[in-house]
Amino acid sequence: MKIVVLVKQVPDTAADKRLDPDTLAVDRGAVDGLINEMDEFAVEEALQLVEKHGGEVTVVSMGPDDATDAYKKALQMGADKAVFLSDPALAGSDALATSEALAKVLGTLEYDLVILGSEASDARTSLVPALLAERLGLPQLTFASKVEVDGSAIRVNRLTDYGHDVVEAALPAVVSVVEKINEPRYPSFKGIMAAKKKPVEALDLAGLGLDAGSVGWAGSRSKVLDATVAPPRAKGTIVTDEGNGGSELVGFLASKKFV
Amino acid sequence: MTEFPFESEERRALRSAVAALGKRYGSAYMQGKGRAGEDSNELWLEAGKLGYLGVSLPEQYGGGGGGIADLVIVQEELGAAGCPLLLLVVTPAICGSIIARFGTQAQKQRFLPGFADGTERMAFGITEPDAGSNSHAITTTARRDGADWILKGRKVFISGVDNCATTMIVSRTEDARTGKLKPALFIVPREAPGFEYRAIPMELISPDRQFELYLDDVRLPADALVGDEDAGIAQVFAGLNPERIMVAALANGIARHALDKAVAYARERTVFRGPIGSHQGIAHPLAQAKIEVELARLMTQKAALLNDAGDDLGAGEAANMAKYAAAEAVTHAVDQAVQTLGGNGLTQEYGLAALINFARVTRVAPVSREMILNFVAQHTLGLPKSY
Ligand SMILES: Cc1cc2nc3c(=O)[nH]c(=O)nc-3n(C[C@@H](O)[C@H](O)[C@H](O)COP(=O)(O)OP(=O)(O)OC[C@H]3O[C@@H](n4cnc5c(N)ncnc54)[C@H](O)[C@@H]3O)c2cc1C
Ligand SMILES: Cc1cc2nc3c(=O)[nH]c(=O)nc-3n(C[C@H](O)[C@H](O)[C@H](O)COP(=O)(O)OP(=O)(O)OC[C@H]3O[C@@H](n4cnc5c(N)ncnc54)[C@H](O)[C@@H]3O)c2cc1C
Repeated sequence: MKIVVLVKQVPDTAADKRLDPDTLAVDRGAVDGLINEMDEFAVEEALQLVEKHGGEVTVVSMGPDDATDAYKKALQMGADKAVFLSDPALAGSDALATSEALAKVLGTLEYDLVILGSEASDARTSLVPALLAERLGLPQLTFASKVEVDGSAIRVNRLTDYGHDVVEAALPAVVSVVEKINEPRYPSFKGIMAAKKKPVEALDLAGLGLDAGSVGWAGSRSKVLDATVAPPRAKGTIVTDEGNGGSELVGFLASKKFV
Repeated sequence: MTEFPFESEERRALRSAVAALGKRYGSAYMQGKGRAGEDSNELWLEAGKLGYLGVSLPEQYGGGGGGIADLVIVQEELGAAGCPLLLLVVTPAICGSIIARFGTQAQKQRFLPGFADGTERMAFGITEPDAGSNSHAITTTARRDGADWILKGRKVFISGVDNCATTMIVSRTEDARTGKLKPALFIVPREAPGFEYRAIPMELISPDRQFELYLDDVRLPADALVGDEDAGIAQVFAGLNPERIMVAALANGIARHALDKAVAYARERTVFRGPIGSHQGIAHPLAQAKIEVELARLMTQKAALLNDAGDDLGAGEAANMAKYAAAEAVTHAVDQAVQTLGGNGLTQEYGLAALINFARVTRVAPVSREMILNFVAQHTLGLPKSY
């Protein structure tokens, strides 16, 4: 089976992130970029499916021209090839515009299954999987904590607050995964050395045949108007138990409407 | 940001992959195993499966086809995560380098694939009770008996023997022509009759223990001899540079680990006004330690690149200097880290006190700082020999 995995490069979650005061977008130059952690689970799932059923894994990533670490990591883990979409005119794309560009890339590829993370750790809209499925006219299976493929059918455990649902669809389909689904492998030394020889197709908007006006700052319908730095966390309250610790704790929880 | 040339894209990827693996184990795992007298095989085997142990071994025999420079990264990153593997110095770096260069075809096939994937380990024994710094004084001898060899002697401080199916023993044989003794290396199975090993109680918290070996007329088949009988001295030298470079890498990793912990603590801990890291009495020694570690890393990388380029002589000088610098740097870094944490520096929870003796080892083994100073004085500076 042919699987496409979408991976996004995000700023290191451990680093202090800053907003660019002019664009109100994340200042990506200031911190190291790496693969969105949840997308490693998507890559792992694709690799496991292909190990089981045969086939190949293509990773697709869209980002600034130096945001190459994400798809490279996927190649090191074992994906077969990559498509990297980069164009200055893509800067500022919102979730809608991002999904339009990614859908267009998928239009150039052959696939039975598309796998994404459920959420990117920087913008965290969780919109791209749904938008993409809609644009491709494909069934969407979200929050997958288990994926099984049987012929042309796919069945996933969809994680819910109360446990999980079992959902089925016909392939091709779009699946977004949660961290529970597997344990992503570390790239092996062989994988690292092999990655540099794997094919990477570099695309820009012209190559893709996409109008610059429909993406980027120009094509995005949502705009960030204002941004405020989150206030530092207030100091916690320490309850010293002098016989009445229990009731003080309950009182605190009640004041926060937890009980 | 421009990357330093040593850090190729592949090496950076290797670094971050090994760092991620190391983070999952960490110093609590390693020190916990050491305290419990257990081994760290889980980490060894997982690193082997991922090809990290075999990075420097030839591809033809299951290795990664890289060099000691790549193995340096593996060791440094595991060390920085608090879980360095002492036997990385021994099995792939010393024994692997020797067998890859001088072993017979059959020996390469027999041992290298297992070294590379972690399923086969080999210890290395050169030190004797009366021959540590003066390794020319070793008395373990091998004599012929028909096609076999009979090995007799004693070794001390040999690391990891209990976890290694075999030990490479440096001994001496009689030169058939001149009658003089010359070095010869033998691969001795742990279960060979006459081969006994006893753990030496050491004040080290590490899963890898040191052993005293008794070789009481151990009978070995002809193919236990590594490579060619006449190449013994060259074989020993082929192992020495990788050994020193890897001990330097281990020291650099531990130093980074200690500094990371100290810096994180100094940023948070407030005693009077402001975090203690704002006091120059704490900040400057940490900055100094950082500089020493970075210089040691640089010399370690130089030595590794020279070694991999086949410049044994140049690598020898650099490897000695790197080992010296790294041992000094880690000793200072750990000491300052402990000081930075105050009482917490001496708790088990913070894992720093356990590093004091461990760091200290790198000043003594595999070659002491004094012997390196002797080497540099004579060979680099051309000063007369005193002993
Ligand atoms: C400060 C800031 C403000 C923003 N404001 C808005 C806004 O007002 N409205 C709006 O719609 N968007 C906004 N964005 C988000 C937008 O730029 C997103 O980066 C983009 O829409 C993708 O959505 P996401 O990151 O939330 O992805 P999610 O939907 O959370 O990601 C889910 C999955 O989609 C895939 N994916 C997402 N992006 C990519 C990619 N580039 N390449 C490959 N795969 C990908 C990955 O598999 C990922 O795991 C903002 C971003 C920032 C940083
Ligand atoms: C934890 C640990 C693991 C080890 N693992 C192994 C192993 O796996 N395999 C192995 O073969 N060996 C191993 N060793 C042994 C190690 O290589 C030796 O301890 C080291 O070479 C020093 O030898 P020695 O202990 O006999 O000290 P000695 O040679 O007795 O030296 C004692 C002191 O005298 C100094 N000294 C000696 N001669 C001079 C001189 N001419 N000028 C100035 N100072 C001098 C030395 O520097 C040292 O400080 C290990 C040791 C330790 C501590």
